[in-house]
Amino acid sequence: MASLLAGRTGRDLGWPVIGAVALFAVLVGGGLAYQGILGTGAAERLVTVMLIDAIVVVGIQIYIGNTGVLSFGHIGFGAIGGYVFALLAISEAEKLKRIPDAPFGLVGVELPPLVAIACAVAFAVVCAFVVGLGLGRSGAASGAVAATVITLALLFVTHEVARNWPDLTGGDRAGLAFPIRGSLDSRVPTYGALLIALIVARLFARSRRGRLAQAAREDDLAARAMGIDPLVQQMMALLLSVAVVVLGSSLKVWEDGSILPGDFFFQYTLVTLVMLIVGGRNGVTGAVVGVIVMTIGRELARRLGQDGFEVFGIGLDSAPLDWIFRENLQTVFLGAAMLGFMIWRPSGLLDDLEIDDWLRRRLGGAESDVPPALVPAPEAGSSTLSASGIDVRFGGFQALSNAGLEADSGEVVGIIGPNGAGKTTFVNVLTGMVRPTDGTFSIDGRQLAGEPAHELARAGLVRTFQNLRLFGSLTVEENVEVAALVAAEHRGDRSHQDTAALIAQAGLWEHRHRRARELDYGNSRRLELARAAAMAPTFLLLDEPTSGMSDAESVAMVEQVKGMADAVGAGVLVIDHDLAFITGISDRIYVLDHGSVIADGTPAEVQSDKRVKEAYLGSAAT
Amino acid sequence: MVELAQNLIDGLGRGSIYALLALGVAVVFGVMHLLNFAHGELITVSGYAAFWAITNGWSWWLVVPLIIVVAVLTSLVIERLAFSRVRGASQFTLLLTSFGVHFVVSAIFLLYVSASVKNFARPAWTTQSTWALGPLQIETFDTVVIVVTILTLIGTNLLLQRTMFGLALRAAAADFDTARLMGVRSDTVIRGAFALSGLLAGIAGVFWLMRAGSTTPSAGIDPMLKGVLAALIGGLGSLRGAVLGGFALGLAEVLLRSWLPGSIAGLTEGFVFALIALLFIFRPQGFVSVAHAERV
Repeated sequence: MASLLAGRTGRDLGWPVIGAVALFAVLVGGGLAYQGILGTGAAERLVTVMLIDAIVVVGIQIYIGNTGVLSFGHIGFGAIGGYVFALLAISEAEKLKRIPDAPFGLVGVELPPLVAIACAVAFAVVCAFVVGLGLGRSGAASGAVAATVITLALLFVTHEVARNWPDLTGGDRAGLAFPIRGSLDSRVPTYGALLIALIVARLFARSRRGRLAQAAREDDLAARAMGIDPLVQQMMALLLSVAVVVLGSSLKVWEDGSILPGDFFFQYTLVTLVMLIVGGRNGVTGAVVGVIVMTIGRELARRLGQDGFEVFGIGLDSAPLDWIFRENLQTVFLGAAMLGFMIWRPSGLLDDLEIDDWLRRRLGGAESDVPPALVPAPEAGSSTLSASGIDVRFGGFQALSNAGLEADSGEVVGIIGPNGAGKTTFVNVLTGMVRPTDGTFSIDGRQLAGEPAHELARAGLVRTFQNLRLFGSLTVEENVEVAALVAAEHRGDRSHQDTAALIAQAGLWEHRHRRARELDYGNSRRLELARAAAMAPTFLLLDEPTSGMSDAESVAMVEQVKGMADAVGAGVLVIDHDLAFITGISDRIYVLDHGSVIADGTPAEVQSDKRVKEAYLGSAAT
Repeated sequence: MVELAQNLIDGLGRGSIYALLALGVAVVFGVMHLLNFAHGELITVSGYAAFWAITNGWSWWLVVPLIIVVAVLTSLVIERLAFSRVRGASQFTLLLTSFGVHFVVSAIFLLYVSASVKNFARPAWTTQSTWALGPLQIETFDTVVIVVTILTLIGTNLLLQRTMFGLALRAAAADFDTARLMGVRSDTVIRGAFALSGLLAGIAGVFWLMRAGSTTPSAGIDPMLKGVLAALIGGLGSLRGAVLGGFALGLAEVLLRSWLPGSIAGLTEGFVFALIALLFIFRPQGFVSVAHAERV
């Protein structure tokens, strides 16, 4: 038991399960206490609805929270699952009455409810896979508008089909109402599903795929540059998420004893999304808190809207306030909650705080506070990066023309040139952010031109960005660990440095639990370097690593770059326009001007080159 | 052939209204990168204004300007109360804010008017009157819609190309930060964009309400979807694309309705949504792509 709670296993396995159980206890305990005190059938029903809503909202959180893609379509998947469940579970006699012409021989099918739920989940997951391929094709990324609109279209398509296919769904008015061998009179299936939902959500968030998805949520481009293919992680999140949502929607249909097209449409989408964002969409704990807060809020709004309320003898006579306390108040309340939170607190009440993280910090043993030291890399075989004939045209503008270079993994190669010379474009080509119009590059003979960014990162070309791209709401430690996760899978042949040692080497040991976006400028740069080093790269490509730094910081940066590169055995390709910095750090230098290499050689050779002087100082210089 | 021509004209009439809605969505997206799910609420609010005016005996000649004025004012008020507070926020926040506005507006009418449909009298010429062009029967209403839409588009084009405001708007849409450095005031340009968006929605709203003859708290969903989808089909950020997208959507609806066999004709809308989803899957940037490559 103790070993399950210690170290990384504890953080990624033991504690998340404890957190899920704690959330389950809060929901169920609170619910039982409420219905026990009130003792009415209405209270009992309210608690059941809250538990089922919790399953659906936690399901949606798995997708939206981990990927950052806003989906309106999950309730559409809920509708698909709900109908499959109803069609399979309703008795034959009932179907003959309501939908005698049902297609696919469905009239004769009658499965036990739990089996029907399993079928509903399986069917919806297959649908989700198809939709997920489409989302991927559309370039879903955090905050992508096209992806959101596809999910919205999905919601409308399911609704239209449900309304206009009465042979299957009973249509808009009749719907499918049924006793499924008695309605849902036991809470056991709901408890089971809720516990499963919470555990799945927490474990996924701490899993390898979950953490890669979160990195892509924070910065899609940086994630690709770290060898992450966001589409794979998004697909996983979507499938799990839809499975959990359908678990909840089937139970909702079972509990209601009926399904109409309108049950899983705009209103329920609003309810579940508001619950998610009020609590905090990036955390499971936030989702649960949102469900509790909004259930209480809606119930109050509903009662105020009816006739005022009275709890424990404290009453509020709403007659004088009749102009506001009316029926439908709860819809205003929901809309206002969504608007208010988006304007004043878009990250929700709890943001991404998780109950297990909190518990672990309170109850878990103290962690070692001695930073481990870097172990020098064993002498790796030398690799060669060679690029030749690289052309890049943006419309009519020739950014690079016939550019090329050779670099060995044992050396530091500098690329220098005035602003607009094509330096960043060159790095963008070598890391797959820009496709070259023409030309090739390779590492040790392996052709790489045209490969997507994440493949180039996995091949060993890992970069930093001129304008800092960290995974902002992940901690310093998590930023580096994400890169190490990718390295463990795709850079297996290289020696890996301990992530803690890299963090210590970058001088970030005491900041390791802070969020990356809270770091100051210099620390952010050093974190980017540590993150890139954790990829166990063959070549580190640094795009103006000292831009915006003081002279003293730049000098320290030179040491840091050399230390990191030595430790992971990587060659360095560094870009800058500062001649002093580049000559100080590089073994060899390429000079770019107007997209072409105009000189190369040792720092001394380059400094005395006539064309270089012209490019830098104008032709008057001698 | 005659049937196809007839369908094309019907589609143009329908598409004209969508084009005006889509242009309004695109103008706002251009300056704020906000996909406005609350665009249809401008028509909901003007719909209730029209209902109030007509039940109080106003003639349609007065109701038309009323609808337009109410749409413009509503657009400005919504910008002031909600969207001005989330300028520059993440796409996630922007999308959900506009979704929230949609719900609050419709809930207010649900709360203070009622959930039931409010009917009002439509002008007689919008229903019965047609004229013949050879073998084609063309509705007077469609004719008026198409002509007014074309005039509105010409006017909008002049406004954007020939005035300082238009220049500022186009500059802001191309690169907001640079435009501000060049002295474009962000408040002015954003409010102007919302006013223009409201004006276009108002003109579209006149036709929409004349054809519907009723309004409900959730009446905004349909025009919102049409406007948003058409703007996306055309390629977000492109004004010309939005207009094209509107006409394309109108034609697609009319043609699908006439081609689909009767038993599934009710699914026209469903098919349109599915087609649009497919379009985004294969061409997420829409017909007219606007380069928005991120600099690294």
